[in-house]
Amino acid sequence: MLSYILRRIASTLPVMAIVALFVFSLLYIAPGDPAVVIAGDQASPDDVERIRQSLGLDRPFLIQFGSWVWRILHGDLGTSIFTNLPVSTMIGQRLGPTLSLMMVTLLLTIVVAVPLGVLAAWKAGSLIDRAIMAFAVFGFSLPVFVVGYVLAYVFALELEWLPVQGYTPLAQGVWPWLQNLILPAIALGCVYIALIARITRATMLEVLQQDYIRTARAKGLGQGGILFVHALKNAAVPIVTVIGIGIALLIGGAVVTESVFAIPGLGRLTIDAILRRDYPVIQGIVLLFSFVYVLVNLMIDVIYTLVDPRIRY
Amino acid sequence: MDRRTVLKGLAGAGGLALSGLSAPAIAQGASARTLRFVPQANLANFDPIWGTQYVVRNAAALVWDTLYGVDSSLQPQRQMVESEEVTDDGTTWTFKLRSGLKFHDGEPVLSKDVVASLTRWAARDPMGLMLKALQQELTAVDDRTFKWVLKQPFPKMLYALGKNNSPCAFIMPERIAQTDPFKQIGDYVGSGPMKFAKGEWVPGAKAVFEKFADYVPRQEKASWLAGGKQMLLDRVEWIVMPDPATAAAALQNGEIDWWENPIADLVPVLKKNKNISVDIGDPLGNVGSFRMNFLYPPFNDVRARRAVLMAMSQEDYMRALVGDDNSLWKSLPGFFTPDTPLYTEAGGEVLKGKRDLDAAKKLLAESGYSGQPVTCLVAQDQPITKAFGDVTADLLKKLGMNVDFVATDWGTVGSRRAQKTPPGQGGWNMFHTWHAGSDCINPAPYTAIRANGDKAWFGWPNSPGTEKEVTSWFEAKNLDEEKAAVARLNKVALEDVVYAPTGFFLSYTAWRKNVSGITKGPLPFFWGVSKSA
Repeated sequence: MLSYILRRIASTLPVMAIVALFVFSLLYIAPGDPAVVIAGDQASPDDVERIRQSLGLDRPFLIQFGSWVWRILHGDLGTSIFTNLPVSTMIGQRLGPTLSLMMVTLLLTIVVAVPLGVLAAWKAGSLIDRAIMAFAVFGFSLPVFVVGYVLAYVFALELEWLPVQGYTPLAQGVWPWLQNLILPAIALGCVYIALIARITRATMLEVLQQDYIRTARAKGLGQGGILFVHALKNAAVPIVTVIGIGIALLIGGAVVTESVFAIPGLGRLTIDAILRRDYPVIQGIVLLFSFVYVLVNLMIDVIYTLVDPRIRY
Repeated sequence: MDRRTVLKGLAGAGGLALSGLSAPAIAQGASARTLRFVPQANLANFDPIWGTQYVVRNAAALVWDTLYGVDSSLQPQRQMVESEEVTDDGTTWTFKLRSGLKFHDGEPVLSKDVVASLTRWAARDPMGLMLKALQQELTAVDDRTFKWVLKQPFPKMLYALGKNNSPCAFIMPERIAQTDPFKQIGDYVGSGPMKFAKGEWVPGAKAVFEKFADYVPRQEKASWLAGGKQMLLDRVEWIVMPDPATAAAALQNGEIDWWENPIADLVPVLKKNKNISVDIGDPLGNVGSFRMNFLYPPFNDVRARRAVLMAMSQEDYMRALVGDDNSLWKSLPGFFTPDTPLYTEAGGEVLKGKRDLDAAKKLLAESGYSGQPVTCLVAQDQPITKAFGDVTADLLKKLGMNVDFVATDWGTVGSRRAQKTPPGQGGWNMFHTWHAGSDCINPAPYTAIRANGDKAWFGWPNSPGTEKEVTSWFEAKNLDEEKAAVARLNKVALEDVVYAPTGFFLSYTAWRKNVSGITKGPLPFFWGVSKSA
């Protein structure tokens, strides 16, 4: 298993290199110029050109790309064109809020969605089942920002229970940290709760019709034991897969959520960098996200072997 | 992790929560001296000479001081300077600095710092470039005195040193000011009333300023960038909020204290809240504009440009932007900011009265326009340009023009508008923008009014008459001469349609009622602002 994990991590390097080349090329050919944004609206064309030269943006594509790769190979993600700060520092500043948001959302999703899916499968065809599935359709259909605004209105403005915006680091306390994340996590989690609840229900229904479940029932095993020990474990592989895909999708969802709740995370940094054409920052973030995707897939594969010992690499 | 550990963790969390509950009472005083402010845009960099965005200037005005400062009557007043002398021939200026001025690192402000700062500024600022062209020498005489010798008089010297449009002539320590003006500084030491807390800066999210205890304010009453900049706050936190709805909610909720420019759609909600004050932020407002490219048909022909001016309705543009709120806009039959000394409507008849679409169509036909596509660049990510672009597209269609509507983002518009190639090869025919009213009070900071062809701003208008009157204004010796020059300038610039003004518009600012001392001006001024618990 260890050699498998090492091989998988090693295989990420060419993937990341290809992604990097693709992104770099895409940015190079895309319209827009950071020098124009830096110079401001009133700047003269000469000023813009001088800034382009000072940033090295007038150099040929291959030289720019080569210099970027060289820096990456030396562990340097470069310096932001706009802030003059190292890209690694900027990513480091934003990583905490995004990871926190994703972690709380994921936890919330699993804690809510899996029991809901199990319950719906157990009570298949009943009013409870239909209610849960209706909720799932509802959650799936609502855009994140709509849910976000409604939550902020109800829980922040009307009830004044939670803040509208911002992020407090965990170092300042669990509750201050959590209270900034509850509403965004619910907003972001709605769609994933719906998705995972549906998948859980479907796979559980399939498993509940298997012979070994019938045998367990015949042996007089309690409903809880059947559902959570026998059925859920055997239904886990597709559920884990969807949760894994969900983590990857969360990164995209975090962009909107971070904007709505003014969380200073990577999503907002990405959007800002794209709008300003801050190439080094965009490249750094894309590399990081590529790595996260690969890592998540790897973790899913490892979890497969834990929930289903028949799977071996 | 076992059950006991989890319970301990939860108890700790509960304890923290309880301590959090008690925090407001304990920290009330500190909270009252911290102002949380949502700026108009993200503070993405912090070099006011390298990057000339308004948001950078606004933040820089807290950290760096200027030799002179423009007050609310648009007059430059002494700020870091104690006295100045000018020779009778107007060519040699000798300035003396106030005593006791210190930078945030504890070092005194010396003439050598001023000389280096002015040299860097003069390489980037249009008025600075004019001074540089006239300069014989700029030298430090002693620690508190410096001398600027020119080849010929420059009557607008004090205005240049105290103006509020970017880049302002901010004074930095020599070691920082020696940075190439086209490269960004990384050390943010100034001598202004607040220090920049670089360690707390999260670009795109938060910027923090702390009171500079050793700042020596002037004794006069503060007025915009002039007078005694008395800081009543210990800390100002700039919190960037990309979503206006979130900013509105945060202001209502008391999570922020001051929102620089709420969008018009959300103002009615804020006005209903008894804890919030809403008022016009900057009385100098903004001048809406679209530029036509002088280099290529159809707008290389003045008749085509005049046809557009003849047909356009400023009310359409303004309604698209501000809706039904009549207090937020004015028609503008000219280029200069209303209610300022040089405002004029000379030659503005073409923008007044009933719009004449038929006459405009006739004039357009005379210009030789025969249906070729007109490439119209519109940044959809800016509410102002989006509103203007939609109206222009409709206007051009009514005129019978074939519109190639390029809806894109500001980054792309900014890049593409610099292209001098023909519209079909990456160039353009028109784009939309707006100019801060504080930049349109006279021709000095007014880049968009310049019409010196290839050297002019994007669109490259060529109007020798306009340029002649710009020079007349620079040479004017008193206000009457200035007014006469600007009236002539307004007339000729409208005749040649240097650009099309789409109207004058204002925007609101909003703050919690426990904040006092907020004044109207072209930038947010924090001196004199206080906050009660």
